[in-house]
Amino acid sequence: MDHMTAVTFTEVTKSYGDVRAVDGLTLDLRPGETVALLGPNGAGKSTALDLLLGLRHPDSGTVRVFGTSPREAITAGRVGAMLQSGGLMGEVTVGELVRLACDLHPRPRRVGDVLSQAGIAQIADRKVDKLSGGQEQRVRFALATAGANDLIVLDEPTTGMDVTARQAFWATMREQADQGRAVLFATHYLEEADAIADRVLVLHRGRLLADGTAAEIKARAGARKVAFDLAEMDEAVTGRLRQLPFLTALDVSGHTVRLQSADADATVHALYGLGLYPHNLEVAGLGLEQAFVAITEAEEAKTR
Amino acid sequence: MTNTLASRGLIKLEITRALRNRKFLFFSVVYPVLLFVIVSNTQGGVPDSRLSLSAYMMVSMASFGALTAVLMGNSERIAKERESGWVRQLRLTPLPGRGYVLAKTASAAVVSLPSILVVFAVAALFKGVRFAAWQWLALSGAIWAGSLCFAALGVAIGYLASGDTVRPITMIVYFGLSLLGGLWMPATTFPQWLQSVASWLPTHAYAALGQAIELGGAPHAKDVILLAAYFLLFAGGAAWLYRKDTLKA
Ligand SMILES: Nc1ncnc2c1ncn2[C@@H]1O[C@H](COP(=O)(O)OP(=O)(O)O)[C@@H](O)[C@H]1O
Ligand SMILES: [Mg+2]
Repeated sequence: MDHMTAVTFTEVTKSYGDVRAVDGLTLDLRPGETVALLGPNGAGKSTALDLLLGLRHPDSGTVRVFGTSPREAITAGRVGAMLQSGGLMGEVTVGELVRLACDLHPRPRRVGDVLSQAGIAQIADRKVDKLSGGQEQRVRFALATAGANDLIVLDEPTTGMDVTARQAFWATMREQADQGRAVLFATHYLEEADAIADRVLVLHRGRLLADGTAAEIKARAGARKVAFDLAEMDEAVTGRLRQLPFLTALDVSGHTVRLQSADADATVHALYGLGLYPHNLEVAGLGLEQAFVAITEAEEAKTR
Repeated sequence: MTNTLASRGLIKLEITRALRNRKFLFFSVVYPVLLFVIVSNTQGGVPDSRLSLSAYMMVSMASFGALTAVLMGNSERIAKERESGWVRQLRLTPLPGRGYVLAKTASAAVVSLPSILVVFAVAALFKGVRFAAWQWLALSGAIWAGSLCFAALGVAIGYLASGDTVRPITMIVYFGLSLLGGLWMPATTFPQWLQSVASWLPTHAYAALGQAIELGGAPHAKDVILLAAYFLLFAGGAAWLYRKDTLKA
């Protein structure tokens, strides 16, 4: 069923010297879905996308895009991409550059449509060298959407944008998704993943930690905050708190204890079992951001 | 076939861009003409040659202008665009990798043609240089075709150097080859040992093509073979560096 997947990574590994940037990555992307590749800086997001786009070659494992090699998929005009860092051709206007991208594409869209959808029709006559950071990102987005691609890959597309620009950009991304294109974007903004993606892949140290909807990610993290006060608090008590099962984070300040747990029920139950009597007990779900931190911290604790 | 069509878009834009760059136009078109006018003002002939100084310098400066256009046009842009990431961005388009090099070289060649023709026009109109029609055509063709050798050298330097070092490296190669190859002053004025070194340089062979035509003959086999050998060397080196760069990037 290879032709049914947009992207397939099978046991893909890529190292730079001693650094394993991508470590045994296996995943499938389906046509039409909007997927966030979420991870902190250095997680291997850009490397994974470079592998997907054929800009780098895996040390081992295989990458297939619409059942072919990445390069073949690009040559067939099925993939458009916007890199995290990538200069533009200087000394030409925005309009000329977008026209070039359309000329180069086997299934081009109309230059005017590309410009207006990327929100850069008003600056089409401006020289590329004289753009603000946000405008430059939009031009790069236009280059990625110059043709009728089936997959659009964006590496941290909203870096350097303010909140308004970012939200406007999300709307532009959603428009692409609504036209039935698969969209894969790397981000370390959890809000962004939550707001646009059907599916979130959490990448950490080159490995896939979680794969699901934003809601599932929160659940998978256990993702419960527990807070309470203890009348008596000393070293021994703190020591006992550390023994609690399913604990992923612990913070004691004064008589107040805040912890995160992968299984709040079990943790609270064990609290009484330790002979402690919490007051003002509160249990709450984590936001995606905290869930993400919890997942990655749990992973780091394992490797430590 | 689509690839050729696709390259055409890039070639068109590269040419637009080269023609818009005043500094580049100055150095490849205006500067050789100025040098020609200044140098050819001195009367007389060239030692060990039947050519007038004007005729001799016309070929030298046309060659120099073409050399400037193709060498500078390729090396600096390629190195800078590799560094800025534009080359990577282009690799996300169906344009084949060599299409980029092709477009750069083609656009440099388009700009180098005026640098040749303008020098010829000034020589014919103001310096009384006279040749048969076939000679003018042969001169234009030989100097234009010969410049391909240096276009390949420009590509090689572009893939060898970083954005910061490309200018000094290009300048050293460019001035060294121009001066020692006898583009600025006849190599026959050099001491003997330098003359023998110079006679093996690609620029010397390049200018010799035009001088042979001016004297009414065909270019010497040695010069043609030498230039072809340099072309293969530079193009081979450029292809190798290019492959290395794509594997790394
Ligand atoms: N060209 C490179 N050479 C050496 N190490 C690199 C290179 N690119 C990335 N790395 C390292 O690989 C890891 C993953 O980097 P990257 O894929 O850029 O992550 P992300 O995009 O998630 O920030 C990091 O540890 C980074 O330092
Ligand atoms: Mg990155």
